Amino acid sequence: MARVDLRHIEKGYPGLKALDDVDLVIESGEFFTLLGPSGCGKTTLLRTIAGFIQHDSGEVLVAGERIDQMPAHKRNMGMVYQDYAIFPHLSVADNVAFGLKTRGRPKPEIAERVQRALELVQLGNHGKRLPHELSGGQQQRVALARAMVISPQILLMDEPLSNLDAKLRVELREDIRDLQRSLAITTIYVTHDQEEALAISDRICVMQSGRVHQVASPQKIYAEPATLFVASFIGAMNIMPVGSQEGALAAADLPERLRARGPMTLAIRPEDVIVGQSTNGNALAVEGAVEKVTFAGREAYAHVRCANGLHLQAHLYRPSAGQLALVGESVRLRLPLDRLHAFDAADGKRVELPA
Amino acid sequence: MNSVRRVDVWTWAMVLGFAVIAVLLVWPLWSIVAASFIDNRTGVFTLNNYVSVMTRPLYQTALINSLIVSLGGMAGALALGVPLAILTTRYQIVGRDLIGTLSVLALVSPPFIGAYAWIMMLGQNGWMRHGLAAIGIELPSIYGFFGILLVFSLKFFPFVYLMTASSLNTINASVEEAAEGLGAGTIRRLFTVTLPLVLPALSSAALLVFVLSLADFGTPSIVGGRVRVLATTAYNLFTNEMGGNPGLASTTSMVLIVISLVVVALQRWAVRRRNVSGSLLRRPQPRVLKPFASVMAHLVCYAIVLAASLPSLVVVYTSLRKTSGPVFQPGFGIESYTRVMHEVPHVIANSFSYSTVSVMMIVILGTLIGYVLARRDSPLAGTLDSALMIPYIVPGVVMGVGFVVTFNVKPLEITGTATILVLMLMIRRLPYSVRSSASILKQIKGSIEEAAISLGASPAQAFLKVTLPLMLPGIIAGALMSFITAINELSSSLILYVGRTMTMPVRIYLSVLDGEFGTAAALSTILLVTSGAAVYAVFRVTGRKESAFV
Ligand SMILES: Nc1ncnc2c1ncn2[C@@H]1O[C@H](COP(=O)(O)OP(=O)(O)O)[C@@H](O)[C@H]1O
Ligand SMILES: [Mg+2]
Repeated sequence: MARVDLRHIEKGYPGLKALDDVDLVIESGEFFTLLGPSGCGKTTLLRTIAGFIQHDSGEVLVAGERIDQMPAHKRNMGMVYQDYAIFPHLSVADNVAFGLKTRGRPKPEIAERVQRALELVQLGNHGKRLPHELSGGQQQRVALARAMVISPQILLMDEPLSNLDAKLRVELREDIRDLQRSLAITTIYVTHDQEEALAISDRICVMQSGRVHQVASPQKIYAEPATLFVASFIGAMNIMPVGSQEGALAAADLPERLRARGPMTLAIRPEDVIVGQSTNGNALAVEGAVEKVTFAGREAYAHVRCANGLHLQAHLYRPSAGQLALVGESVRLRLPLDRLHAFDAADGKRVELPA
Repeated sequence: MNSVRRVDVWTWAMVLGFAVIAVLLVWPLWSIVAASFIDNRTGVFTLNNYVSVMTRPLYQTALINSLIVSLGGMAGALALGVPLAILTTRYQIVGRDLIGTLSVLALVSPPFIGAYAWIMMLGQNGWMRHGLAAIGIELPSIYGFFGILLVFSLKFFPFVYLMTASSLNTINASVEEAAEGLGAGTIRRLFTVTLPLVLPALSSAALLVFVLSLADFGTPSIVGGRVRVLATTAYNLFTNEMGGNPGLASTTSMVLIVISLVVVALQRWAVRRRNVSGSLLRRPQPRVLKPFASVMAHLVCYAIVLAASLPSLVVVYTSLRKTSGPVFQPGFGIESYTRVMHEVPHVIANSFSYSTVSVMMIVILGTLIGYVLARRDSPLAGTLDSALMIPYIVPGVVMGVGFVVTFNVKPLEITGTATILVLMLMIRRLPYSVRSSASILKQIKGSIEEAAISLGASPAQAFLKVTLPLMLPGIIAGALMSFITAINELSSSLILYVGRTMTMPVRIYLSVLDGEFGTAAALSTILLVTSGAAVYAVFRVTGRKESAFV
């Protein structure tokens, strides 16, 4: 358990910056998630912390001490991989015992700690099995036990759930979360799945092209995305450039105080778009035709094409038969001003709208 | 780049790899290049050697002959291997495993054994020649192109068969069914769909056969008669009683190297264009043939593999014939074996000990270097990889010449020792071992080793405890195959041996030239049985994978 300080980490590959001035603090005991699209540098950052990649510049500190020059096998970090990385020639128990054996712990202690770790991941009576006799989900549990049994200072996980099917993914992610809470291990978790990140994390770091866009709690990231990229990457979001071009919101439709801010991009979540009449007077109104309605059981999404080719989605909670039959009709959408997000058109940074 | 730039055990493995390759590959090769440009008597730079090789009829003929036997061997191997591959993968053939095994055995038996067995069968007094003559079939003399091409075709077709068959097995059944659904008949389907899809494997196999035929020394020198090829010419130039002609021998070697280089480059180019095949969803199912067609198909398949196995059978049979001195008597006996045990026990011991020692070195070095190549993609590793191509393109005779001209001066004066033979066996086979280790490693996920390191194992410990155990079956199979090639090596040993360090293939070669067929057969049988046992062991380790041999 330890706090991690990443100071101005840079890592370049020929023709590309994999990590661009990454500067973060991960608090002791925290469940910290690196989130971003594939290729944004998450794995590179994680492996830099683990000691498998040497960064070009910057500092990595764990519990206040620099570890940049420490070889990977001395860093005492547990690692969990997307492909499980289970040793196929060793039994489940021997897999879990591996780290304790390299530390030269006495045999009875090893046996006891291995058994306890296996019980924690609900594999208490699978110790004698060989890995190929286990399902993918079980193998990943073994990997988890193997990483945690050494009481690592930090637990590193690189997309541990990506190879599992959807149902198992949700199940195991809850287990990981509960375990991490009960053992209070500082955990750095990598995923490209925003829903997973929102569900599991204390804090999320959203990355793109090697740069950090925002570090905040899941709620804050969802409610107040710091950049246009975060807004579009997390959850569903209607993005509306302002201007006269195709697919944009006409500047003339905006209230005077918004127009005054200069060039920007507005955004609104589908669940904040109101379909039909509304008493909320403090909203933008746009007219459009419903192109299709996508039904998803408890909810539905209306796809609306507005003037100037602007395309908006509206969320319909518990859609009525009438709402589902809206296709082809023209509707009036209301976008409440206090629900609008605004981003600078030049640098994509969040702009606070005047109340 | 993807690893930490600290000095660890793998840095040293790379240094060791470079040292071995520099001393045992680059230096001898450089000696040959240098010798080809130097006048034997005056020691000054000259192009005369090249002028001689280009203009003198002797060398021109050798060059043309070499191209004829290489192309002919390739054509023969294709003519036997492709039909066999198609029949066994697409139609119900009884005993497919037996066919595969016989092909592998033909592959691992040394070509010079085939050469002299065919002399016994088809020579002037051969039983087969007489038998065929009795039914009105007159064959040309076994000595010359006929003999060389016969031996090459029957020796090298298994490469074509095994590589093509394994490629044929990875075509999704639906592809050929789709062609059939579109109205393409059997023959049309074969030429418009199936063969184009296996063309990469087919062309690789064909070019491999070309290179092997070009490099082969034993066959043309035993059954070549008056047909001289480049390999035999280089050997004769070098070992000539009149002191030899290292300059011309080296120049002839250079011609061999350049031809191989061009062909291997061609092969690589052919393989590089291999389109990435999708995942294998449904294996093609062999069809049942109509009775008459089925009988014909079986006849063709078994005729091919039996013809290929015939030399081995003849050799074993000959070794068990009763002899008195070099003369065969009616009946069976073990005189040939008692003679070799009596007269040349050290030859047998040499073969086994040299092969064993060289294989141990191959395994250790090959695994270490293979690891560096597979896990570190630094430019240096790339250089190492290219340098390891050298033995693929340099024939044994040429490597032998290179070793002699390089290692006959202090501080590395090792000509005439067992060391030079062991090092030669080692370096000739090392690249194959490196390649196979690297490809095994590429199938072992890097994350497994990293996981071990993150659990506190040092890089060396992680390798020993996790990676090595996973590589072991592959390493053992590779070691056995290295052993097979090492114990059957003729051409380079023939150049490097002295009386004390003679090996079984050398002794067999000399016995055949002296007409001592009994002892040659006894020694050959020992080689065949040893190779067969090794093949059996490889099957045990790999779970019967014939493709492991190509
Ligand atoms: N060894 C390498 N050499 C060159 N480029 C690399 C290497 N490893 C990763 N990259 C590049 O660095 C970027 C970040 O990669 P990575 O950290 O694996 O992304 P992520 O895990 O977020 O998908 C990618 O563009 C990737 O192509
Ligand atoms: Mg990744």
